[in-house]
Amino acid sequence: MIKLDRRNFIKGAGAGGATCALATMLPGSLAALEKEPLKAVGKEVASICEMCSTRCPISARVVDGKNVFITGNKEAKSFGGKVCARGGAGHSLLYDPQRIVNPLKRVGERGEGKWAEISWDEAYKMMATNLNRIKREHGPEAVAFSSKKGSLSGHFFHLAKAFGSPNTFTHGSLCPGAYVIAAKSMFGTKLKRDLGNSEYIINFGHNIYEGINMSETRGMMKAQSERGAKLVVFEPRFSVVADKADEWHAVRPGTDVAVALALCHVLITDKLYDQAFVERYVVGFEAFAAEVKAYTPEWAEGITDVKAKDIRRIAHELAAAAPHAVVDFGHRATFTTEEFDMRRAIFAANVLIGNIERKGGLYLGKKAKTYNKFAGETVAPKLAKPGVEGMPKPTAKRIDQMDKQYTMVWKNGGVYQSILAATLEAKPYQLRGWVMSRTNPMQTMTDRAKVLAALKKMEFVAVCDVYISETAAYADLILPESTYLERDEEIADKSGKNPAYYVRQRVVETIGNTKPSWQIFKEVGDALGLSKFYPWANMETLQLAQMNRDDKALRHIKEKGYVSYGKPLMLREPSMVAKFTDTYANARTPDDDGTYASALKFKTPSGKIELSSAAVEAFAPGRGVIRYRDAPLKRADELYFIQGKVAVHTNGATHNVPILANLMADNAVWIHPLTAGRLGISHGDAIRLTSSVGSETSYAMVTPGIRQDTVFAYMGFGSKNKELIRASGKGLHCGNLLPDSTAPVVGMNLHTTGVKVEKV
Amino acid sequence: MNNTWGDMAQYDPVTWNWVIAVYLFMAGLSAGSVLIGIGMRWYSKDTLTESPILKAAAIIGPVAISLGLACLVFDLTKPFHFWVILVNYNFQSVMALGVLALLVYTPLGIAYGLIVLRDELPKWGLGFLSPVAQMLIGWRKAIEVLLFILAIGVGAYTGFLISAMNAYPMLNTAILPALFLVSGLSAGAAANSVVALLMFKVDNHDRELSRMHALELPVMATEIMFLFMLFCALYFKGGAAAVALASLTTGMWAGVFWIGVVGIGFGVPLLSMLMPAATRHTKGAMLMVACSGLTGVLALRHFILYAGQSYIY
Amino acid sequence: MSKRYVMVHDENKCIGCQACNVACRSENGTPEGVTRLQVRVEGPFGQAPNLHFKYHRVSCQQCEDAPCVKVCPTGAAYVGEDGIVTIKEDKCVGCMYCVAACPYKVRFVNPETKATDKCNFCKDTRLARGELPACVTVCPTNALTFGDANEPDSEVAKLLNTKPSYQDKIHLGTKPRIYRIPTKRGGIES
Repeated sequence: MIKLDRRNFIKGAGAGGATCALATMLPGSLAALEKEPLKAVGKEVASICEMCSTRCPISARVVDGKNVFITGNKEAKSFGGKVCARGGAGHSLLYDPQRIVNPLKRVGERGEGKWAEISWDEAYKMMATNLNRIKREHGPEAVAFSSKKGSLSGHFFHLAKAFGSPNTFTHGSLCPGAYVIAAKSMFGTKLKRDLGNSEYIINFGHNIYEGINMSETRGMMKAQSERGAKLVVFEPRFSVVADKADEWHAVRPGTDVAVALALCHVLITDKLYDQAFVERYVVGFEAFAAEVKAYTPEWAEGITDVKAKDIRRIAHELAAAAPHAVVDFGHRATFTTEEFDMRRAIFAANVLIGNIERKGGLYLGKKAKTYNKFAGETVAPKLAKPGVEGMPKPTAKRIDQMDKQYTMVWKNGGVYQSILAATLEAKPYQLRGWVMSRTNPMQTMTDRAKVLAALKKMEFVAVCDVYISETAAYADLILPESTYLERDEEIADKSGKNPAYYVRQRVVETIGNTKPSWQIFKEVGDALGLSKFYPWANMETLQLAQMNRDDKALRHIKEKGYVSYGKPLMLREPSMVAKFTDTYANARTPDDDGTYASALKFKTPSGKIELSSAAVEAFAPGRGVIRYRDAPLKRADELYFIQGKVAVHTNGATHNVPILANLMADNAVWIHPLTAGRLGISHGDAIRLTSSVGSETSYAMVTPGIRQDTVFAYMGFGSKNKELIRASGKGLHCGNLLPDSTAPVVGMNLHTTGVKVEKV
Repeated sequence: MNNTWGDMAQYDPVTWNWVIAVYLFMAGLSAGSVLIGIGMRWYSKDTLTESPILKAAAIIGPVAISLGLACLVFDLTKPFHFWVILVNYNFQSVMALGVLALLVYTPLGIAYGLIVLRDELPKWGLGFLSPVAQMLIGWRKAIEVLLFILAIGVGAYTGFLISAMNAYPMLNTAILPALFLVSGLSAGAAANSVVALLMFKVDNHDRELSRMHALELPVMATEIMFLFMLFCALYFKGGAAAVALASLTTGMWAGVFWIGVVGIGFGVPLLSMLMPAATRHTKGAMLMVACSGLTGVLALRHFILYAGQSYIY
Repeated sequence: MSKRYVMVHDENKCIGCQACNVACRSENGTPEGVTRLQVRVEGPFGQAPNLHFKYHRVSCQQCEDAPCVKVCPTGAAYVGEDGIVTIKEDKCVGCMYCVAACPYKVRFVNPETKATDKCNFCKDTRLARGELPACVTVCPTNALTFGDANEPDSEVAKLLNTKPSYQDKIHLGTKPRIYRIPTKRGGIES
């Protein structure tokens, strides 16, 4: 138990921030401060969650100066005023004694855990000295900037750009990137799912009942419970989604692509596909149809362990429910190097049933600009960008862009793990500095040993975070960010079928010496001599600039926290178009069939859906047409090792948050009774998993809810740095077992491998 | 599924631990000792002398209940608020009724002790209490009768206390108060003989002592019968109740039952009867048998409390 | 007519996400190490591929004939005018009789107050403000419904009249007021 007592702290840390070996008290941590009641900013404040990357709209109220009761913001209808466990627990990191509330400087070896408190001035000076030195000696591109996506990355990458480095990365390639790239290659843009209105849902391990994404989780539950939608799940593990499904098929890990292709095969061969839709909106169908001819359900059965007759039946059921049916394209499934074609095959099935812009299918997000155009009036204000003049253009290419096949990853967060080769092998050129904001590659990137080596080789590493994460533990400098409950941020776009904006607002006054990251990176910019690229004084001025100085509109958004404009619109859905035209007198005139089908255009070179793509063929020869390729994931004598999300944690971030750590501290390994029996393993036994790159121990959870050839563990546990007192050493570190391997075209970090399992 | 819902420690079905078992034992012991002391006094019709056994009971009665209550109070999460329980009563609650009974029983036991031990007090340096004893002596009959009735209540109360919990099939039986009363008698008899032998130098062949020993076999037989009835009732009730019988065959509490309750508590005294009368009546043998009996009763309280709480409907 | 607050837990809609568990802790300030509410995901049971989990809400059942109230010596555990079983902290001495007597094992000693503690449907906090209990408020999939079952038009009354439900351990005569809608294997029917 850590006592919140200033005297103890001074005793431990030594006066004036002198050196101190890590003991029970972390220097710079909240434990150093005396506990004061939380000071609420308002009675009930609408804001945006940050416990995972979904960023749900929330509403927060301080309870007795002790807790914050957080629930969903009721203004956001599809979120239903609801919040998940992680969102509800966000306040417990506010007063976590292990939270970092003062800038820290490393005083021992990297990762040794010796820290000294420093002032912000000193921290900025350190940033400026190191970054400017690297820039001077090796060019700005020798510094990599990586960040969690969202409001944080905006300000952070602005700094990178001003500094002159092209090397900015988000966690996209470690997690959700592939389906975005696949969608872009086919539709020219991202697509969204309308699960709530679906009547038939095929799901490839997109476990939204555990990896909760509030509006989609609620949507699928609504479809299932109110519309009687049928849910078919292909997943090697019996997850909560599998439990709630009408059918669960324990597909062989990594073979989802074969199922998806076989579904397409049946849709085409049995003429179940929407021929009118394909004719009107699709190019490259013939090439795809020719390729898919070989992918019969019987062929797929041999690869996937899913019965051919089931695949055939499911394809027929899907077509019968079309267009109000959907094949969910992700988030998670088993990762293979064939990510690109797996996601494309799934999108292809959706295209074949013609569910694009139909209820219960897939649709394109409608931001203010598009929506206003259809309405013929300004229904929603457009968000302005604060003009920054003279932003430098980086002269160097980003490290992942030396390889042409990753062309499409350029705008989408980059191939994050390419930092490893650049640092360790100077491929394509040497990186020397790494600045991070709320990202934890030591947990989420594969091959922990390699990540560690890269961190150690860096000349300078700075991390902005709320905890000394496993990655921050190897930094030279830690910049303590305020938690989201203490921050104001700019208006964010949350448009779906109609435009919507929402905003993060502080719920309690800042605790300790922390700052919001937008301010930290603005002040770092000042220290680097880049002040001219920051024309805003504070968040208020930035928000006003976004709203084109419309103070009233800004106040409205701030008061509601979430504002949605207009009515939901899907271009090919007659009932929605009718309602839309009824509402807006100057609305675009519908087509003869009462839809806006003629307005449906795609941002691809052809303006149509590119089922086969010449553009892709050009930068990735052989990849133009969707094709099945064998993607071996393990040796014959190994078991597949797969991971997944759990409802009470976010992969690399929440395992030390008190309430959540108390809910779940470790990750048992799921193993089938027969496999366990053959290996002499009983429930609860300590077991060791060994892969080509590492070895980890945990304990066995013997369960029929997993394939015999597969073991499973929830992601994000087993941190190895001692600063994360609640999380460290508990459970199995997935990243330490996964080899560093990148999928073609999409640049995804491979998250499936083979392991040997033994009792210890 | 992995545990994602947090600590399960608070859900341990065993809520009351050994401290309560000791309390149950002490209360039963106090009541049993007093019942036997007073009962034998009435039976012998000798109202002139205070027999060593009565003197033993006069000590054990108040001391055991006081120790038991100390256990109870310090087992509270708020021991210094124990007075709250003395001023608020829920008459539906067995515990509240028990508190009322103990509230009268304990001072009455002390008063009765002073009366019986009035001649011993000066010898123990407690002469200053003699006037009190003298003052009380006029009330002896009333105190004695009331104490006897309350002792029955207290002895049975410890059983009612835990049998009132219908969550536990093994505890929620009608037989428990009777079983605890009888085993309290057996503990009382054993403790009386130990104290009589050690403190009051009673002759090994004392008539009263022999008479008390003569009670042991029927008391023990009743105890065994009650236990048998308890287990039969569980067996025939089936379901969760029958499952609770596993406590007789598995786990630590099976050991406590078969070694502590049966082996030491019943076995040793019964086997001692096979010894030649001369050996059997030595002070050492009598002490050993008495201590075995006490151990058995203590083990029984532990077994019933722990095994009883381990199996829940 | 008197109020009869009940809660219905639809195990079909429950995904075991623990949002309720956390919300309860935040609203009621439950200290670390103890909890008023958890939803245990038990299983999977059955034979693959026909497996199923059980989503088991563990919290005070608000019995109409509550063993804890019966055994409490001081009356600290009592039934309020609204029928809700709750605790007067200052009357509780911590004898643990109620903790032991509760057939659902949902009472515990609060390490801060040293008094026993448990779910009281957010009686003092949210109900007093006219809001729904914390768990019901946040439940992502609307698996929880709360209200007055004596009010025929209430959501709970309608739910109990139209869906099969069960209560835990009714053979003990406790008359629990947590109703559970059992899982129907093979999708979710509402």
